[in-house]
Amino acid sequence: MSEQFKQALDGITRVRGVRGALMVTDDDGLIIADAVMEGVRGDAVAALAASLSARMAKATVGAGVGEQHFLHLQAENGTLLSMPAPNGVLIVVLAENDVNVGLVRLEMLRAVEAVK
Amino acid sequence: MSRVRAVEPWIEDPLVRFVTEAGARLTLIMTPSGQVLAQHGFTRAVDVMAAAALGAAIVSSTREIATTIGEETFRALNHQGIQHGIFLAEMATPRGPLLALVVYGPESSVGLVQLFYEDLVQELVAACPDEEPTKPVIAADFERDLHNSLAFLFGR
Amino acid sequence: MRYRQSSDLTRCWGRPVSSDIRAMTAELASNPDSLVFLELGEALRRRGQLYAAAKAAVVGLERHPQLADSHDLYARILVDMGHLQQAYDEWQATVELDPQHLGAHKGLGFLCYRWGDLDGALEHLELAVAADPMDQSVVQALQMVRGAAAELTEAPEEPQQSVFQGLDGAHHGLLLFDTRGRVLGGGMSSHLGEDVSRDVAAYVSGGCQEADRSSRILELGDWRWMVLEGPGGSMHVSRSPSNTLLLVARDGSVPSGRLAVLAKRAAEAARQWLEAQQP
Repeated sequence: MSEQFKQALDGITRVRGVRGALMVTDDDGLIIADAVMEGVRGDAVAALAASLSARMAKATVGAGVGEQHFLHLQAENGTLLSMPAPNGVLIVVLAENDVNVGLVRLEMLRAVEAVK
Repeated sequence: MSRVRAVEPWIEDPLVRFVTEAGARLTLIMTPSGQVLAQHGFTRAVDVMAAAALGAAIVSSTREIATTIGEETFRALNHQGIQHGIFLAEMATPRGPLLALVVYGPESSVGLVQLFYEDLVQELVAACPDEEPTKPVIAADFERDLHNSLAFLFGR
Repeated sequence: MRYRQSSDLTRCWGRPVSSDIRAMTAELASNPDSLVFLELGEALRRRGQLYAAAKAAVVGLERHPQLADSHDLYARILVDMGHLQQAYDEWQATVELDPQHLGAHKGLGFLCYRWGDLDGALEHLELAVAADPMDQSVVQALQMVRGAAAELTEAPEEPQQSVFQGLDGAHHGLLLFDTRGRVLGGGMSSHLGEDVSRDVAAYVSGGCQEADRSSRILELGDWRWMVLEGPGGSMHVSRSPSNTLLLVARDGSVPSGRLAVLAKRAAEAARQWLEAQQP
Protein backbone atom coordinates (compact mmCIF):
# COMPACT_ATOMS: atom_id res chain seq x y z
CA MET A 1 0.00 0.00 0.00
CA SER A 2 1.39 3.43 -0.89
CA GLU A 3 2.22 5.71 2.04
CA GLN A 4 -0.19 8.32 0.68
CA PHE A 5 -3.11 5.91 0.65
CA LYS A 6 -2.18 4.56 4.08
CA GLN A 7 -2.16 8.05 5.58
CA ALA A 8 -5.50 8.87 4.01
CA LEU A 9 -7.11 5.71 5.39
CA ASP A 10 -5.48 6.19 8.79
CA GLY A 11 -7.06 9.64 8.93
CA ILE A 12 -10.48 8.05 8.54
CA THR A 13 -9.91 5.24 11.01
CA ARG A 14 -8.80 7.74 13.67
CA VAL A 15 -12.41 8.98 13.90
CA ARG A 16 -14.06 7.30 16.87
CA GLY A 17 -16.49 4.56 15.86
CA VAL A 18 -14.90 3.77 12.50
CA ARG A 19 -14.33 0.02 12.12
CA GLY A 20 -12.70 0.07 8.73
CA ALA A 21 -11.80 2.23 5.75
CA LEU A 22 -11.06 0.94 2.27
CA MET A 23 -10.16 2.08 -1.21
CA VAL A 24 -12.01 -0.13 -3.65
CA THR A 25 -12.29 -0.44 -7.43
CA ASP A 26 -15.79 0.80 -8.16
CA ASP A 27 -16.56 -1.64 -11.00
CA ASP A 28 -14.90 -4.79 -9.63
CA GLY A 29 -15.46 -4.32 -5.90
CA LEU A 30 -11.87 -5.34 -5.17
CA ILE A 31 -9.68 -3.84 -2.43
CA ILE A 32 -6.92 -1.44 -3.47
CA ALA A 33 -5.96 -0.47 0.08
CA ASP A 34 -7.59 -1.07 3.43
CA ALA A 35 -7.34 -0.43 7.14
CA VAL A 36 -9.91 -2.53 8.94
CA MET A 37 -10.35 -3.78 12.49
CA GLU A 38 -9.94 -7.45 13.25
CA GLY A 39 -13.15 -9.32 12.55
CA VAL A 40 -14.24 -7.03 9.73
CA ARG A 41 -14.48 -8.88 6.39
CA GLY A 42 -12.74 -6.35 4.17
CA ASP A 43 -13.45 -8.28 0.98
CA ALA A 44 -17.17 -8.41 1.80
CA VAL A 45 -17.31 -4.71 2.66
CA ALA A 46 -15.54 -3.86 -0.61
CA ALA A 47 -17.66 -6.07 -2.86
CA LEU A 48 -21.00 -5.19 -1.30
CA ALA A 49 -20.38 -1.45 -1.00
CA ALA A 50 -19.31 -1.26 -4.65
CA SER A 51 -22.36 -3.25 -5.69
CA LEU A 52 -24.70 -1.08 -3.61
CA SER A 53 -23.21 2.09 -5.03
CA ALA A 54 -23.50 0.77 -8.59
CA ARG A 55 -27.11 -0.33 -8.10
CA MET A 56 -28.13 3.02 -6.70
CA ALA A 57 -26.34 4.94 -9.47
CA LYS A 58 -29.23 4.69 -11.95
CA ALA A 59 -31.68 5.70 -9.24
CA THR A 60 -29.82 8.90 -8.38
CA VAL A 61 -29.53 9.87 -12.04
CA GLY A 62 -33.20 9.02 -12.63
CA ALA A 63 -34.37 11.06 -9.66
CA GLY A 64 -32.42 14.10 -10.86
CA VAL A 65 -29.79 13.86 -8.10
CA GLY A 66 -27.10 13.09 -10.66
CA GLU A 67 -23.91 11.11 -10.20
CA GLN A 68 -23.44 9.98 -6.63
CA HIS A 69 -21.11 12.09 -4.49
CA PHE A 70 -21.91 10.35 -1.24
CA LEU A 71 -23.88 7.34 -0.02
CA HIS A 72 -24.87 6.82 3.61
CA LEU A 73 -26.58 3.57 4.64
CA GLN A 74 -27.81 3.65 8.23
CA ALA A 75 -28.56 0.30 9.84
CA GLU A 76 -29.51 -0.78 13.36
CA ASN A 77 -25.98 -1.82 14.28
CA GLY A 78 -23.76 0.09 11.92
CA THR A 79 -23.18 2.58 9.16
CA LEU A 80 -21.82 2.10 5.65
CA LEU A 81 -20.53 5.14 3.77
CA SER A 82 -19.09 5.46 0.29
CA MET A 83 -17.70 8.29 -1.78
CA PRO A 84 -16.38 8.03 -5.33
CA ALA A 85 -12.85 9.21 -6.06
CA PRO A 86 -11.14 9.72 -9.43
CA ASN A 87 -9.84 6.86 -11.58
CA GLY A 88 -12.60 4.41 -10.71
CA VAL A 89 -11.85 4.34 -6.99
CA LEU A 90 -14.49 4.21 -4.28
CA ILE A 91 -13.71 5.23 -0.69
CA VAL A 92 -15.71 2.99 1.67
CA VAL A 93 -16.12 3.26 5.43
CA LEU A 94 -17.75 0.85 7.86
CA ALA A 95 -18.58 2.38 11.23
CA GLU A 96 -20.69 2.13 14.36
CA ASN A 97 -24.19 3.54 14.04
CA ASP A 98 -23.43 6.52 16.29
CA VAL A 99 -20.30 7.64 14.43
CA ASN A 100 -19.90 11.34 13.67
CA VAL A 101 -20.66 11.18 9.94
CA GLY A 102 -19.62 14.79 9.39
CA LEU A 103 -16.10 14.10 10.65
CA VAL A 104 -15.79 10.88 8.68
CA ARG A 105 -16.95 12.66 5.58
CA LEU A 106 -14.22 15.28 5.92
CA GLU A 107 -11.60 12.55 6.17
CA MET A 108 -13.12 10.76 3.19
CA LEU A 109 -12.78 13.96 1.16
CA ARG A 110 -9.10 14.04 2.13
CA ALA A 111 -8.78 10.45 0.96
CA VAL A 112 -10.34 11.46 -2.36
CA GLU A 113 -7.66 14.13 -2.70
CA ALA A 114 -4.99 11.51 -2.03
CA VAL A 115 -6.24 9.43 -4.96
CA LYS A 116 -6.11 12.36 -7.41
CA MET B 1 -36.25 -21.99 -9.68
CA SER B 2 -32.64 -21.84 -10.73
CA ARG B 3 -31.58 -23.93 -13.69
CA VAL B 4 -28.88 -25.81 -11.82
CA ARG B 5 -28.18 -29.42 -12.83
CA ALA B 6 -25.86 -31.52 -10.71
CA VAL B 7 -24.56 -35.00 -11.44
CA GLU B 8 -23.60 -35.26 -7.76
CA PRO B 9 -26.57 -34.18 -5.61
CA TRP B 10 -24.46 -32.73 -2.76
CA ILE B 11 -23.31 -29.96 -5.08
CA GLU B 12 -26.78 -28.70 -5.97
CA ASP B 13 -27.81 -26.65 -2.90
CA PRO B 14 -24.46 -24.84 -2.42
CA LEU B 15 -24.36 -24.10 -6.15
CA VAL B 16 -27.92 -22.73 -6.21
CA ARG B 17 -27.00 -20.39 -3.33
CA PHE B 18 -23.81 -19.30 -5.06
CA VAL B 19 -25.52 -18.61 -8.38
CA THR B 20 -28.26 -16.62 -6.66
CA GLU B 21 -25.95 -14.52 -4.48
CA ALA B 22 -23.14 -13.94 -6.97
CA GLY B 23 -25.49 -13.29 -9.89
CA ALA B 24 -23.53 -15.74 -12.04
CA ARG B 25 -24.85 -16.25 -15.55
CA LEU B 26 -23.06 -19.51 -16.25
CA THR B 27 -21.28 -21.84 -13.85
CA LEU B 28 -19.50 -25.16 -14.18
CA ILE B 29 -18.16 -27.31 -11.37
CA MET B 30 -15.79 -29.92 -12.75
CA THR B 31 -12.82 -32.11 -12.01
CA PRO B 32 -9.36 -31.10 -13.27
CA SER B 33 -9.82 -33.63 -16.07
CA GLY B 34 -12.86 -31.72 -17.30
CA GLN B 35 -15.55 -34.08 -16.01
CA VAL B 36 -18.52 -31.84 -15.29
CA LEU B 37 -20.24 -32.41 -11.95
CA ALA B 38 -22.74 -29.57 -12.09
CA GLN B 39 -23.75 -26.75 -14.34
CA HIS B 40 -25.91 -23.67 -14.29
CA GLY B 41 -27.15 -21.62 -17.20
CA PHE B 42 -25.90 -23.63 -20.17
CA THR B 43 -28.57 -24.75 -22.60
CA ARG B 44 -26.42 -26.69 -25.05
CA ALA B 45 -24.23 -29.69 -24.28
CA VAL B 46 -21.70 -28.58 -26.86
CA ASP B 47 -21.09 -25.34 -24.94
CA VAL B 48 -20.53 -27.25 -21.70
CA MET B 49 -18.12 -29.55 -23.46
CA ALA B 50 -16.12 -26.66 -24.89
CA ALA B 51 -16.14 -24.64 -21.65
CA ALA B 52 -15.14 -27.63 -19.52
CA ALA B 53 -12.31 -28.64 -21.83
CA LEU B 54 -11.00 -25.08 -22.13
CA GLY B 55 -11.36 -24.36 -18.41
CA ALA B 56 -9.49 -27.51 -17.45
CA ALA B 57 -6.79 -26.71 -20.00
CA ILE B 58 -6.39 -23.15 -18.72
CA VAL B 59 -5.99 -24.31 -15.12
CA SER B 60 -3.55 -26.97 -16.20
CA SER B 61 -1.39 -24.57 -18.20
CA THR B 62 -1.42 -21.83 -15.55
CA ARG B 63 -0.40 -24.40 -12.96
CA GLU B 64 2.67 -25.05 -15.10
CA ILE B 65 3.38 -21.33 -15.27
CA ALA B 66 3.00 -21.12 -11.50
CA THR B 67 5.49 -23.95 -11.07
CA THR B 68 7.93 -22.23 -13.40
CA ILE B 69 7.91 -19.04 -11.33
CA GLY B 70 8.04 -20.89 -8.04
CA GLU B 71 4.38 -20.64 -7.02
CA GLU B 72 2.62 -23.77 -5.86
CA THR B 73 -0.49 -22.81 -7.82
CA PHE B 74 -2.63 -19.81 -8.76
CA ARG B 75 -5.67 -19.48 -6.52
CA ALA B 76 -7.96 -17.95 -9.10
CA LEU B 77 -7.92 -16.35 -12.51
CA ASN B 78 -10.19 -13.59 -13.73
CA HIS B 79 -10.60 -12.36 -17.27
CA GLN B 80 -12.54 -9.13 -17.55
CA GLY B 81 -14.34 -8.30 -20.78
CA ILE B 82 -16.56 -5.33 -21.57
CA GLN B 83 -19.83 -7.13 -20.90
CA HIS B 84 -18.75 -10.34 -19.18
CA GLY B 85 -16.09 -11.57 -16.82
CA ILE B 86 -14.78 -15.11 -16.45
CA PHE B 87 -13.65 -16.37 -13.07
CA LEU B 88 -11.79 -19.66 -12.89
CA ALA B 89 -10.58 -21.18 -9.64
CA GLU B 90 -9.45 -24.45 -8.14
CA MET B 91 -10.68 -25.66 -4.76
CA ALA B 92 -9.55 -28.49 -2.51
CA THR B 93 -12.29 -30.84 -1.31
CA PRO B 94 -12.24 -34.21 0.46
CA ARG B 95 -12.95 -35.68 -2.97
CA GLY B 96 -9.84 -34.06 -4.40
CA PRO B 97 -9.46 -30.82 -6.34
CA LEU B 98 -12.42 -29.36 -8.20
CA LEU B 99 -12.57 -26.46 -10.62
CA ALA B 100 -15.18 -23.73 -10.81
CA LEU B 101 -15.74 -21.75 -13.99
CA VAL B 102 -18.04 -18.76 -13.54
CA VAL B 103 -19.25 -16.30 -16.16
CA TYR B 104 -20.78 -13.11 -14.80
CA GLY B 105 -22.28 -9.99 -16.33
CA PRO B 106 -22.25 -6.28 -15.47
CA GLU B 107 -24.93 -6.80 -12.79
CA SER B 108 -22.28 -8.62 -10.76
CA SER B 109 -18.55 -8.09 -10.21
CA VAL B 110 -15.43 -10.12 -9.61
CA GLY B 111 -15.55 -8.90 -6.01
CA LEU B 112 -19.01 -10.39 -5.49
CA VAL B 113 -18.09 -13.59 -7.31
CA GLN B 114 -14.95 -14.00 -5.17
CA LEU B 115 -16.88 -13.24 -1.99
CA PHE B 116 -19.56 -15.84 -2.60
CA TYR B 117 -17.11 -18.28 -4.14
CA GLU B 118 -15.45 -18.54 -0.72
CA ASP B 119 -18.83 -19.46 0.78
CA LEU B 120 -19.37 -21.98 -2.03
CA VAL B 121 -16.05 -23.67 -1.27
CA GLN B 122 -16.85 -23.89 2.44
CA GLU B 123 -20.29 -25.32 1.77
CA LEU B 124 -19.02 -27.83 -0.78
CA VAL B 125 -16.27 -29.01 1.56
CA ALA B 126 -18.85 -29.46 4.32
CA ALA B 127 -21.31 -31.30 2.05
CA CYS B 128 -18.77 -33.43 0.21
CA PRO B 129 -18.95 -37.19 0.84
CA ASP B 130 -15.80 -39.23 1.44
CA GLU B 131 -13.11 -39.38 -1.15
CA GLU B 132 -13.48 -41.89 -3.97
CA PRO B 133 -10.39 -43.95 -4.88
CA THR B 134 -8.36 -41.96 -7.34
CA LYS B 135 -7.58 -43.42 -10.73
CA PRO B 136 -5.13 -42.34 -13.36
CA VAL B 137 -6.51 -39.92 -15.91
CA ILE B 138 -5.86 -41.13 -19.40
CA ALA B 139 -7.24 -39.76 -22.62
CA ALA B 140 -9.94 -42.42 -22.90
CA ASP B 141 -11.16 -41.75 -19.32
CA PHE B 142 -11.27 -38.07 -20.00
CA GLU B 143 -13.51 -38.54 -23.02
CA ARG B 144 -15.72 -41.10 -21.34
CA ASP B 145 -16.13 -39.08 -18.13
CA LEU B 146 -16.90 -35.96 -20.10
CA HIS B 147 -19.58 -37.69 -22.14
CA ASN B 148 -21.08 -39.45 -19.14
CA SER B 149 -21.54 -36.22 -17.24
CA LEU B 150 -22.91 -34.44 -20.30
CA ALA B 151 -25.38 -37.26 -20.76
CA PHE B 152 -26.76 -36.61 -17.32
CA LEU B 153 -26.59 -32.83 -17.43
CA PHE B 154 -28.62 -32.71 -20.61
CA GLY B 155 -30.75 -35.78 -20.09
CA ARG B 156 -29.17 -37.87 -22.85
CA MET C 1 -23.17 -41.49 -7.54
CA ARG C 2 -25.09 -40.73 -10.72
CA TYR C 3 -28.79 -40.77 -11.31
CA ARG C 4 -30.39 -41.35 -14.63
CA GLN C 5 -32.87 -38.68 -15.59
CA SER C 6 -35.92 -40.89 -15.26
CA SER C 7 -35.03 -42.35 -11.88
CA ASP C 8 -34.27 -38.88 -10.58
CA LEU C 9 -37.72 -37.67 -11.56
CA THR C 10 -39.41 -40.71 -10.06
CA ARG C 11 -37.46 -40.24 -6.86
CA CYS C 12 -38.69 -36.67 -6.51
CA TRP C 13 -42.37 -37.35 -6.90
CA GLY C 14 -42.85 -38.88 -3.47
CA ARG C 15 -46.38 -40.03 -4.45
CA PRO C 16 -47.70 -43.08 -6.24
CA VAL C 17 -46.97 -42.76 -9.93
CA SER C 18 -49.87 -43.20 -12.33
CA SER C 19 -49.48 -45.46 -15.33
CA ASP C 20 -49.76 -42.47 -17.70
CA ILE C 21 -46.94 -40.67 -16.02
CA ARG C 22 -44.88 -43.83 -15.83
CA ALA C 23 -45.40 -44.36 -19.55
CA MET C 24 -44.46 -40.77 -20.39
CA THR C 25 -41.38 -40.98 -18.19
CA ALA C 26 -40.33 -44.18 -19.92
CA GLU C 27 -40.86 -42.57 -23.31
CA LEU C 28 -38.78 -39.57 -22.28
CA ALA C 29 -36.03 -41.82 -20.94
CA SER C 30 -35.89 -43.82 -24.18
CA ASN C 31 -36.08 -40.73 -26.38
CA PRO C 32 -34.88 -37.61 -24.58
CA ASP C 33 -35.56 -35.50 -27.68
CA SER C 34 -39.24 -36.35 -27.43
CA LEU C 35 -41.72 -33.56 -26.81
CA VAL C 36 -43.54 -35.76 -24.30
CA PHE C 37 -41.99 -33.66 -21.55
CA LEU C 38 -44.70 -31.06 -22.30
CA GLU C 39 -47.46 -33.51 -21.48
CA LEU C 40 -45.53 -35.02 -18.58
CA GLY C 41 -44.76 -31.61 -17.00
CA GLU C 42 -48.38 -30.51 -17.34
CA ALA C 43 -49.67 -33.80 -15.87
CA LEU C 44 -47.34 -33.45 -12.90
CA ARG C 45 -48.33 -29.79 -12.47
CA ARG C 46 -52.00 -30.70 -12.40
CA ARG C 47 -51.25 -33.35 -9.77
CA GLY C 48 -49.55 -30.66 -7.68
CA GLN C 49 -46.15 -32.37 -7.99
CA LEU C 50 -44.52 -29.08 -8.80
CA TYR C 51 -40.89 -29.92 -8.13
CA ALA C 52 -41.03 -32.97 -10.40
CA ALA C 53 -42.98 -30.93 -12.98
CA ALA C 54 -40.31 -28.23 -12.89
CA LYS C 55 -37.57 -30.81 -13.39
CA ALA C 56 -39.38 -32.21 -16.43
CA ALA C 57 -39.86 -28.70 -17.80
CA VAL C 58 -36.22 -27.72 -17.26
CA VAL C 59 -35.03 -30.90 -18.96
CA GLY C 60 -37.26 -30.10 -21.93
CA LEU C 61 -36.28 -26.45 -21.94
CA GLU C 62 -32.62 -27.30 -22.09
CA ARG C 63 -33.17 -29.56 -25.09
CA HIS C 64 -35.73 -27.32 -26.81
CA PRO C 65 -34.84 -23.73 -25.85
CA GLN C 66 -36.37 -22.37 -29.06
CA LEU C 67 -39.72 -24.08 -28.46
CA ALA C 68 -42.26 -21.55 -27.16
CA ASP C 69 -44.36 -24.25 -25.49
CA SER C 70 -41.44 -25.35 -23.32
CA HIS C 71 -41.15 -21.82 -21.84
CA ASP C 72 -44.95 -21.67 -21.45
CA LEU C 73 -44.99 -24.95 -19.52
CA TYR C 74 -42.20 -23.82 -17.21
CA ALA C 75 -43.99 -20.50 -16.63
CA ARG C 76 -47.23 -22.23 -15.59
CA ILE C 77 -45.31 -24.37 -13.11
CA LEU C 78 -43.48 -21.32 -11.74
CA VAL C 79 -46.80 -19.54 -11.16
CA ASP C 80 -48.04 -22.51 -9.18
CA MET C 81 -44.82 -22.42 -7.17
CA GLY C 82 -45.38 -18.73 -6.46
CA HIS C 83 -42.34 -17.54 -8.47
CA LEU C 84 -44.31 -14.90 -10.34
CA GLN C 85 -41.46 -12.75 -11.59
CA GLN C 86 -39.66 -15.77 -13.07
CA ALA C 87 -42.94 -16.92 -14.62
CA TYR C 88 -43.32 -13.47 -16.18
CA ASP C 89 -39.81 -13.75 -17.66
CA GLU C 90 -40.58 -17.20 -19.10
CA TRP C 91 -43.81 -15.98 -20.69
CA GLN C 92 -41.97 -13.01 -22.12
CA ALA C 93 -39.52 -15.49 -23.65
CA THR C 94 -42.52 -17.41 -25.01
CA VAL C 95 -44.02 -14.42 -26.81
CA GLU C 96 -40.61 -13.46 -28.17
CA LEU C 97 -40.51 -16.88 -29.85
CA ASP C 98 -44.21 -16.93 -30.75
CA PRO C 99 -45.87 -13.49 -30.61
CA GLN C 100 -49.34 -15.06 -30.95
CA HIS C 101 -48.94 -17.61 -28.18
CA LEU C 102 -52.36 -17.79 -26.51
CA GLY C 103 -51.22 -19.35 -23.24
CA ALA C 104 -48.41 -16.87 -22.73
CA HIS C 105 -50.67 -13.83 -23.33
CA LYS C 106 -53.23 -15.30 -20.93
CA GLY C 107 -50.52 -15.82 -18.34
CA LEU C 108 -49.01 -12.37 -18.80
CA GLY C 109 -52.49 -10.85 -18.61
CA PHE C 110 -53.11 -12.70 -15.36
CA LEU C 111 -49.82 -11.54 -13.84
CA CYS C 112 -50.30 -7.92 -14.92
CA TYR C 113 -53.80 -7.93 -13.43
CA ARG C 114 -52.51 -9.45 -10.22
CA TRP C 115 -49.83 -6.74 -10.00
CA GLY C 116 -52.38 -4.01 -10.57
CA ASP C 117 -51.13 -3.19 -14.07
CA LEU C 118 -54.52 -3.00 -15.78
CA ASP C 119 -53.13 -1.52 -19.00
CA GLY C 120 -50.71 -4.41 -19.33
CA ALA C 121 -53.43 -6.93 -18.50
CA LEU C 122 -55.74 -5.46 -21.16
CA GLU C 123 -52.99 -5.47 -23.77
CA HIS C 124 -52.14 -9.14 -23.25
CA LEU C 125 -55.72 -10.32 -22.94
CA GLU C 126 -56.65 -8.52 -26.14
CA LEU C 127 -53.76 -10.27 -27.89
CA ALA C 128 -54.98 -13.56 -26.40
CA VAL C 129 -58.50 -12.95 -27.72
CA ALA C 130 -57.04 -12.11 -31.12
CA ALA C 131 -55.17 -15.44 -31.04
CA ASP C 132 -58.31 -17.40 -30.19
CA PRO C 133 -61.61 -15.43 -30.21
CA MET C 134 -63.50 -18.59 -29.19
CA ASP C 135 -61.68 -19.07 -25.87
CA GLN C 136 -64.41 -18.15 -23.38
CA SER C 137 -62.05 -18.00 -20.40
CA VAL C 138 -60.06 -15.22 -22.08
CA VAL C 139 -63.17 -13.36 -23.18
CA GLN C 140 -64.50 -13.41 -19.61
CA ALA C 141 -61.15 -12.34 -18.17
CA LEU C 142 -60.99 -9.46 -20.65
CA GLN C 143 -64.49 -8.30 -19.68
CA MET C 144 -63.56 -8.40 -16.01
CA VAL C 145 -60.36 -6.37 -16.51
CA ARG C 146 -62.17 -3.85 -18.72
CA GLY C 147 -64.74 -3.43 -15.96
CA ALA C 148 -62.02 -2.89 -13.35
CA ALA C 149 -60.26 -0.36 -15.60
CA ALA C 150 -63.54 1.54 -16.14
CA GLU C 151 -64.21 1.67 -12.39
CA LEU C 152 -60.75 3.06 -11.80
CA THR C 153 -61.26 5.77 -14.44
CA GLU C 154 -64.58 6.76 -12.91
CA ALA C 155 -63.21 6.81 -9.35
CA PRO C 156 -63.60 10.32 -7.90
CA GLU C 157 -60.19 10.36 -6.27
CA GLU C 158 -57.05 8.63 -7.41
CA PRO C 159 -55.46 6.91 -4.40
CA GLN C 160 -51.94 7.62 -5.68
CA GLN C 161 -52.54 11.35 -5.40
CA SER C 162 -53.83 11.26 -1.87
CA VAL C 163 -50.93 9.56 -0.07
CA PHE C 164 -48.90 12.67 0.53
CA GLN C 165 -51.71 15.20 0.30
CA GLY C 166 -50.66 18.52 1.79
CA LEU C 167 -46.95 17.74 1.80
CA ASP C 168 -44.49 19.73 -0.27
CA GLY C 169 -43.56 17.89 -3.46
CA ALA C 170 -46.40 15.38 -3.09
CA HIS C 171 -46.49 14.66 -6.82
CA HIS C 172 -42.92 15.21 -7.98
CA GLY C 173 -40.53 14.49 -5.11
CA LEU C 174 -42.18 11.92 -2.87
CA LEU C 175 -42.68 8.33 -3.88
CA LEU C 176 -44.13 5.31 -2.10
CA PHE C 177 -43.51 1.93 -3.70
CA ASP C 178 -43.21 -1.71 -2.76
CA THR C 179 -40.03 -3.76 -2.52
CA ARG C 180 -40.58 -5.02 -6.07
CA GLY C 181 -40.63 -1.52 -7.46
CA ARG C 182 -44.38 -1.10 -8.00
CA VAL C 183 -45.50 2.47 -7.39
CA LEU C 184 -48.18 2.89 -4.71
CA GLY C 185 -48.38 6.63 -4.43
CA GLY C 186 -46.75 10.02 -4.89
CA GLY C 187 -44.66 10.86 -7.92
CA MET C 188 -41.20 11.65 -9.17
CA SER C 189 -40.41 14.03 -12.02
CA SER C 190 -37.25 14.62 -13.99
CA HIS C 191 -35.78 18.09 -14.55
CA LEU C 192 -37.74 18.17 -17.81
CA GLY C 193 -40.98 17.48 -15.97
CA GLU C 194 -41.33 13.90 -17.24
CA ASP C 195 -42.85 11.34 -14.88
CA VAL C 196 -39.98 9.04 -13.91
CA SER C 197 -41.77 7.38 -10.97
CA ARG C 198 -41.75 3.85 -12.34
CA ASP C 199 -38.10 3.93 -13.42
CA VAL C 200 -36.90 5.39 -10.15
CA ALA C 201 -38.99 2.96 -8.08
CA ALA C 202 -37.56 0.04 -10.04
CA TYR C 203 -33.95 1.20 -9.63
CA VAL C 204 -34.30 2.08 -5.95
CA SER C 205 -36.03 -1.19 -5.06
CA GLY C 206 -33.16 -3.06 -6.74
CA GLY C 207 -30.68 -1.02 -4.73
CA CYS C 208 -32.63 -1.70 -1.54
CA GLN C 209 -32.32 -5.44 -2.15
CA GLU C 210 -28.58 -4.91 -2.22
CA ALA C 211 -28.85 -2.86 0.99
CA ASP C 212 -30.72 -5.79 2.58
CA ARG C 213 -28.00 -8.19 1.55
CA SER C 214 -25.13 -5.90 2.59
CA SER C 215 -26.69 -5.33 6.02
CA ARG C 216 -27.19 -9.06 6.49
CA ILE C 217 -23.72 -10.17 5.42
CA LEU C 218 -21.93 -7.34 7.23
CA GLU C 219 -24.05 -8.06 10.33
CA LEU C 220 -25.34 -4.49 10.55
CA GLY C 221 -28.88 -5.50 11.47
CA ASP C 222 -31.82 -4.16 9.48
CA TRP C 223 -31.07 -1.00 7.53
CA ARG C 224 -33.29 1.97 8.35
CA TRP C 225 -32.54 4.57 5.75
CA MET C 226 -30.15 5.58 3.02
CA VAL C 227 -29.14 9.05 1.87
CA LEU C 228 -27.56 9.64 -1.51
CA GLU C 229 -26.14 12.98 -2.58
CA GLY C 230 -25.20 14.29 -5.99
CA PRO C 231 -24.74 17.55 -7.85
CA GLY C 232 -28.49 17.87 -8.44
CA GLY C 233 -29.55 17.38 -4.83
CA SER C 234 -30.10 14.46 -2.53
CA MET C 235 -32.49 11.60 -1.92
CA HIS C 236 -33.57 9.83 1.23
CA VAL C 237 -34.81 6.23 1.05
CA SER C 238 -36.42 4.60 4.06
CA ARG C 239 -38.42 1.53 4.93
CA SER C 240 -42.15 1.95 5.44
CA PRO C 241 -44.71 -0.46 6.90
CA SER C 242 -46.08 -3.40 4.89
CA ASN C 243 -42.86 -3.99 2.93
CA THR C 244 -42.93 -0.62 1.28
CA LEU C 245 -40.21 1.92 0.59
CA LEU C 246 -40.36 5.68 0.76
CA LEU C 247 -38.25 7.98 -1.37
CA VAL C 248 -37.87 11.73 -0.83
CA ALA C 249 -35.82 13.65 -3.38
CA ARG C 250 -34.95 17.34 -3.21
CA ASP C 251 -32.57 19.72 -4.97
CA GLY C 252 -29.31 20.90 -3.44
CA SER C 253 -30.93 23.84 -1.63
CA VAL C 254 -32.44 21.48 0.94
CA PRO C 255 -29.88 20.47 3.59
CA SER C 256 -29.70 16.80 4.62
CA GLY C 257 -31.16 17.51 8.08
CA ARG C 258 -34.22 19.12 6.49
CA LEU C 259 -34.49 16.16 4.11
CA ALA C 260 -34.63 13.83 7.11
CA VAL C 261 -37.47 15.90 8.63
CA LEU C 262 -39.40 15.78 5.34
CA ALA C 263 -38.84 12.02 5.17
CA LYS C 264 -40.20 11.60 8.68
CA ARG C 265 -43.37 13.54 7.83
CA ALA C 266 -43.83 11.63 4.60
CA ALA C 267 -43.32 8.34 6.45
CA GLU C 268 -46.12 9.22 8.85
CA ALA C 269 -48.42 10.13 5.95
CA ALA C 270 -47.54 6.86 4.23
CA ARG C 271 -48.20 4.87 7.41
CA GLN C 272 -51.65 6.39 7.78
CA TRP C 273 -52.45 5.85 4.12
CA LEU C 274 -51.33 2.23 4.23
CA GLU C 275 -53.42 1.61 7.33
CA ALA C 276 -56.44 3.08 5.58
CA GLN C 277 -55.91 0.66 2.68
CA GLN C 278 -56.19 -2.37 4.95
CA PRO C 279 -59.47 -4.25 4.41
